[in-house]
Amino acid sequence: MGDSTLRVISTVGGDDTHVRHGDHTDTIESVDTVFRAQRKLSFSYGAVFFAVTLGIPASSVWWEGWYAVPIWGGFTANYLFVSLLYYVFLWGMAWTYSRQADKLDDKLAHLADAITADEAAKEVGTP
Amino acid sequence: MNAIAILLVVVLIAFTIALSIFSRRFTRTTADFYLAGRKVGSFSNASAISGDYLSAASFLGVAGAVYASGLDGVWFAAGFAGGFMVVVLFIASALRRFGEYTVADFAFGRFGSNRVRLITVLAVLLTSLFYMAPQMFGSGTTWQVLVGAGLFGMDPYTTGVVVVTAVMAFYVGVGGMKGTTLNQIFQFWWLWFAMFLVVVFAFGSGFNYPAALADASAEPIVNTKQLTATELTTPNAAGVTPLEQAEGIMTAEEFVGVEAFVESGAEGKIAVALPSSNKLHELRDQLFAEPGHRYNAFDQFSMVLALVLGTAGLPHILNRYYTNPSGAAARRSTFWVLVFIGTFYILAPIAGLAGIGFIRDYLAGGGEIAAASVHGLLVKPDQVMPTLGSILGGQWLMGVVAAGAFAAMFSTIGGLLIAAASAIGHDVYEKYVNPNASEAKRVAVGKTSVLLFALIAMGIGLAIPKFGLDQAYPALIAMMVTWAFSVGASAFVPMLLTGIWWKGTTEKGATAGIFVGLFSAIAIIFLNIMQQLGTIGKDGVLGFVGALTFPVLFTFPLALLTIIIVSKLDGQLPKNVDQIWMRIHGTASERHEKQHGLDKVGTMFGKSD
Repeated sequence: MGDSTLRVISTVGGDDTHVRHGDHTDTIESVDTVFRAQRKLSFSYGAVFFAVTLGIPASSVWWEGWYAVPIWGGFTANYLFVSLLYYVFLWGMAWTYSRQADKLDDKLAHLADAITADEAAKEVGTP
Repeated sequence: MNAIAILLVVVLIAFTIALSIFSRRFTRTTADFYLAGRKVGSFSNASAISGDYLSAASFLGVAGAVYASGLDGVWFAAGFAGGFMVVVLFIASALRRFGEYTVADFAFGRFGSNRVRLITVLAVLLTSLFYMAPQMFGSGTTWQVLVGAGLFGMDPYTTGVVVVTAVMAFYVGVGGMKGTTLNQIFQFWWLWFAMFLVVVFAFGSGFNYPAALADASAEPIVNTKQLTATELTTPNAAGVTPLEQAEGIMTAEEFVGVEAFVESGAEGKIAVALPSSNKLHELRDQLFAEPGHRYNAFDQFSMVLALVLGTAGLPHILNRYYTNPSGAAARRSTFWVLVFIGTFYILAPIAGLAGIGFIRDYLAGGGEIAAASVHGLLVKPDQVMPTLGSILGGQWLMGVVAAGAFAAMFSTIGGLLIAAASAIGHDVYEKYVNPNASEAKRVAVGKTSVLLFALIAMGIGLAIPKFGLDQAYPALIAMMVTWAFSVGASAFVPMLLTGIWWKGTTEKGATAGIFVGLFSAIAIIFLNIMQQLGTIGKDGVLGFVGALTFPVLFTFPLALLTIIIVSKLDGQLPKNVDQIWMRIHGTASERHEKQHGLDKVGTMFGKSD
């Protein structure tokens, strides 16, 4: 493809259950562990994000104190949140998520290497 | 004609072209042309993504929507920003780890069939065209306000569309993704600065945010509309004519002209001020700080979902994630995008609100503006930014704003042209037409695709006023962008979410989901347009479906359900599904790159091997 940085997948062990990049190997077991942890993190944050985001129109429909009562000059709580505070919420979510995802990546990297080493040890021990 | 504004726009165009020519030296391979060599750092990429994302809809449309509709307009800004959370949480790093060129590549790699790749290509092209339309319309209307004169016998609108098309086709074709990326970084900061400057000038001129909001909310919102004599005298369902409604809103002095227009039976349209109604809480007056000017309860939810999900379905934004050096860098880029566009979207509604008081007071004081107005309000709300710039800072500030508007259009059109070129040149030509083509020939096809797609978009831009769409919708630019979001959200996002997070998704399920999401969204949008133009009525099933301003609340779950049901019934997973899964969620590649320092950002200006 002409892209020197494009990852090249090479399998080891004669089947499609390993992916090796240099000294590092993914097995389907290690990837499933990574996947489950990432899914938990992403969907937990996703649940909070959608609850807040869809909570705004829900409040706009059903909660008069939210959409019709001025709380600061002409600002209703609804206007204040949508025009200012919602961004603070987004920045906080994105920042903490990115930090946690990075930490998770590091943690899972060690875990994946450990699983791989364990698998390799078993293979060596197999007659 | 505003000489300083034109000068600044010419400077912007010249600089843009110079950057593209500079980048040309570094565009040798298809990876360079489509992905800037995958060496774009988080800050640069975030600036470029922000430039890609902030279009005419954001720069002109958000302030215009707030100016016309108050809180319902503010939602455009919040929704546009919120969409990036879906990208960072569910899509960004997985897409980058998969390591391809385009969304269609992902579909092919994940599901392994030409059929799914080709329907994804079709969806990319249609979504991109939906997004190009408002940029083209914005080009024409901004040229109308800025220059007010046509070239080579064309009217001002046509001239704006043609000039922007020509500039864009040239600079994207010459500079590829590297040139486009550099331009988007520059253009984003220009338009951010322009918005910032307008707001600073507003505060410097005595604007007080809470007080201005209270002032704007003291009386119900007044709508402006251009109507013919026949439309003015045709009673509505309650037996009241728009003429009678206008008389209740407009001053006696203003209304004299309207009466004279109707009595003369003249051709054409006249601008009138009309009362607004609250679509959400029908018994309440429609105040600026309250929801309901545009959207009923259904549309409040549907609009939010369209904007939040639609961002993750924009091909030109998704393509940008492939330019990150790693999955973690993709997440960091998205955080910075949220900071950059978040600050922009906090400023845009302030400009829209400021426009109400400053324009009203300026006109009341005998001031004259280039844009049409009635009852102290602009007839076309999308013109609030240049008008406000002109009032607050004279020709210089209007010039900065006008150049900002063109920068917003250029940066988005650039991304869309690259996405369309990738779809045609990379996904179709390289894969099916001539897989053995030389690198030079592939790049040449990419450039030809840019030109072809630009010409199609130009045709659509020229057709919009001919079909009367600009008269049918109050803030057309923001509206059309939301349609593009709806199409992208319905066509791509269900496929991406299930493809990344559900191993059981099959090729048939994904193909069916894209097909159903894509065409159901487009069908509902066209029904809505036909209803607004009066081609179809408001009764029956067609009338109900046509009344849906945003289809996402129906079409997204429909596409998602289609994928799940068809996949369950089908059950035919790809033979190498475990290997695919390891490619999406595996980290060996990133661990390897980190170990050897390959995850560091390189320079975009090295020549590829």
